[in-house]
Amino acid sequence: MFWKLRLPLILTFLVGCVPVVTFFLAERVPGVSIVPTTVERYMVIIAGFALLLGVVNVVQGSVRRIAQRRPGWPFAISLLAGLLVMGSFGVLSALRVGPFQGLLAGPRGEVTPFLWMTRHFFDPLQAAIFSLLAFYIASAAFRAFRVRNLEAALLIIAAFLVMLGRTPLGEYIFRWAPGGERWLPGLTDWFMAVPNTAAQRGVIIGAALGAASLSLRVILGIERSYLGAKER
Amino acid sequence: MKLERLVRLDRRIIYLLIAVGTLLPILWRIGFPVSPTPPVQALFARLETLGPGDIVLASFDYGPTTAPEITPMARAVLRHCFERRIRVVAIALFPLGGVTMGGEVLGEMAAEYPALRDGEDYVYLGYKDGTQAAMKLMGASFASVFPFSNAGVPVEEIPLMQQVRNYADIDLVVSFSTNVIGEWWANLVNAQFGVPVAVGTTAVWAPKHFAFLDSGQILGLLGGLKGASEYEHLLVAAYPRLEPLYERAGVYTAMKGMDAQTVDHAIIMLFILIGNAAHFWMRRRESARRPG
Amino acid sequence: MGQVLGLWIGAFLTLCVFSFLYRDNPFFRFAESLFAGISLGYYIGTVSANTLAPNLFRPLFRDFPNQAHLLIPLLLGLNLYCRFIPRIAWMARISLAVYIAYFVGINMVQKLQGEVVPQIGATILSPWGGAFTPLDNLILITGVVCVMVYFYFSIEHKGPVGAVSRLGIWFLMVGFGAAFGYTVMGRVSLLIGRMNYLFIDVVRATRQIL
Repeated sequence: MFWKLRLPLILTFLVGCVPVVTFFLAERVPGVSIVPTTVERYMVIIAGFALLLGVVNVVQGSVRRIAQRRPGWPFAISLLAGLLVMGSFGVLSALRVGPFQGLLAGPRGEVTPFLWMTRHFFDPLQAAIFSLLAFYIASAAFRAFRVRNLEAALLIIAAFLVMLGRTPLGEYIFRWAPGGERWLPGLTDWFMAVPNTAAQRGVIIGAALGAASLSLRVILGIERSYLGAKER
Repeated sequence: MKLERLVRLDRRIIYLLIAVGTLLPILWRIGFPVSPTPPVQALFARLETLGPGDIVLASFDYGPTTAPEITPMARAVLRHCFERRIRVVAIALFPLGGVTMGGEVLGEMAAEYPALRDGEDYVYLGYKDGTQAAMKLMGASFASVFPFSNAGVPVEEIPLMQQVRNYADIDLVVSFSTNVIGEWWANLVNAQFGVPVAVGTTAVWAPKHFAFLDSGQILGLLGGLKGASEYEHLLVAAYPRLEPLYERAGVYTAMKGMDAQTVDHAIIMLFILIGNAAHFWMRRRESARRPG
Repeated sequence: MGQVLGLWIGAFLTLCVFSFLYRDNPFFRFAESLFAGISLGYYIGTVSANTLAPNLFRPLFRDFPNQAHLLIPLLLGLNLYCRFIPRIAWMARISLAVYIAYFVGINMVQKLQGEVVPQIGATILSPWGGAFTPLDNLILITGVVCVMVYFYFSIEHKGPVGAVSRLGIWFLMVGFGAAFGYTVMGRVSLLIGRMNYLFIDVVRATRQIL
């Protein structure tokens, strides 16, 4: 029980207090700053290990899918192939072996294998998958965006103001009036700087207070879900 | 009957209209005018006050998913720095593409200024994990976070980095960010270390950054493709010799992209209006048909 | 030639993804799975080359006597992977506790000192004045207070509190509308980039070799 729960909770408290306490003490007490800087150095490294946890999960899941011939198992092969090729190029680039001289262009400007894969596989796939959203937002705007009440009307007026005012369309609409090309863009500038800022600020303050209280609950050991344990 | 068909229009026709609306202005440039806004002008004005003795930290916190919006603003800001001989220390804190985005954009822009030297006028330190930890640690020592440059050169051997110990030696941070990292430069680095911060961010995140702009935590904001086009416009107006770079055929710029943006906005607004008009007309017809 | 071949591969993969707009099909599924694998491989590459090699392994191997303390993050990092071995999965909690606790601690200070205090400070204004009109400050203060009342769920939203909360909802709708407008801009930009890639970059490169 001590090793599985108490020790992690004690460590959570001790390590969680470091950034909070040293924030106040670092400039007032000489020598204290060595603690947060050392911990931060370690955290940069541990974050690297943590980022790769997902890789192991995905590899396990894909291997199981292939072994059990679950629906869609051939695509798990392409997933693993992509992961192995790109991953091995990356590791070889880290070791600077042969043509794998780093992640970017080599010392004589030559394109390294990792960079070639990034430019012609990683970049197009990432960009294409996310560019589908443009089609979806247009479809959703037509089929689902309905002004059923005052709140929805306010939302749509605000959206139109931004979509018009943040493009040259806004300048063309009132061009016929003297100084008219600045009316809509100017209104949009005011709109973003005042009502929008007010709304965003309220959300930021509320969310920040919530996040800070959750952080305190984690440090004090009240919130334990991150350890897979029940809340105290 | 026709209204029902309109309201239930096959989504693939909508997709086709959007695709055509995007493609035509790319192939045949319209050349809509661009008018700068105060948040963009603020960053431009700040860079205009910096010169050869100053150092800007450029953080590439985005990947290929938002490159069409953010790469043009990164290019414009770097060109501005290099025109004014402002020295640039470039890093990347976004794991999915930041390191290659940073290396490619910095390399492209540096190639336009052959008189500038890598290691003296600019340096690329690469990517680092643990974003917030790295940001905090740079307040004490850049060398602790980046012991080597991206090219593998020890940082103590790089002339530019011999003059950059921590944030106190940086005159301005410009973060090109795709998500919350831009906010962290404001609410962590600016708040705790006082270094001036400007953010160029994707349009999706821009509205939230207005609150940080208003509170003074960021001094300038480039929001989305519009923000990038405004910065390009300001740059070309102040440095006319750069105009041919932005007029080159086949080279993507934010000013060119705004043509397609404008057409697509018009199409989407029309969709919303038509969809709502059809919906209300149908509801009116149904309530007229209902007895009593 | 490698550049043109690469552009054609990129174009093929882009079209595989776009084929989903017509309907789900094996080309899209292939591109989707490749996307996942390549992205994870990219993670491996950047973490290895940019963090683990320069910040951990190179100092450890080159100057072990002075850098032996780096064994601590090495062991803590490797310990995270114990979660995949059922018998010793509990050991990963130690590393997880350290990792999560530190970032939670930073987050707490960041949120309070970096967001709550400056944002509230920027709202303490004279009600009469502003950058655009004299009513700006009043609108800003009213909006922030009303939105925060809306998010206060410990009392029932009726009577005067209900009215203030309603005004808060209107401000929120205005904020969401602005967010929607900017989101449209953001999403469309991504499509512009892909169309430019397909119809300008790929076509030009192909023309050059033909």
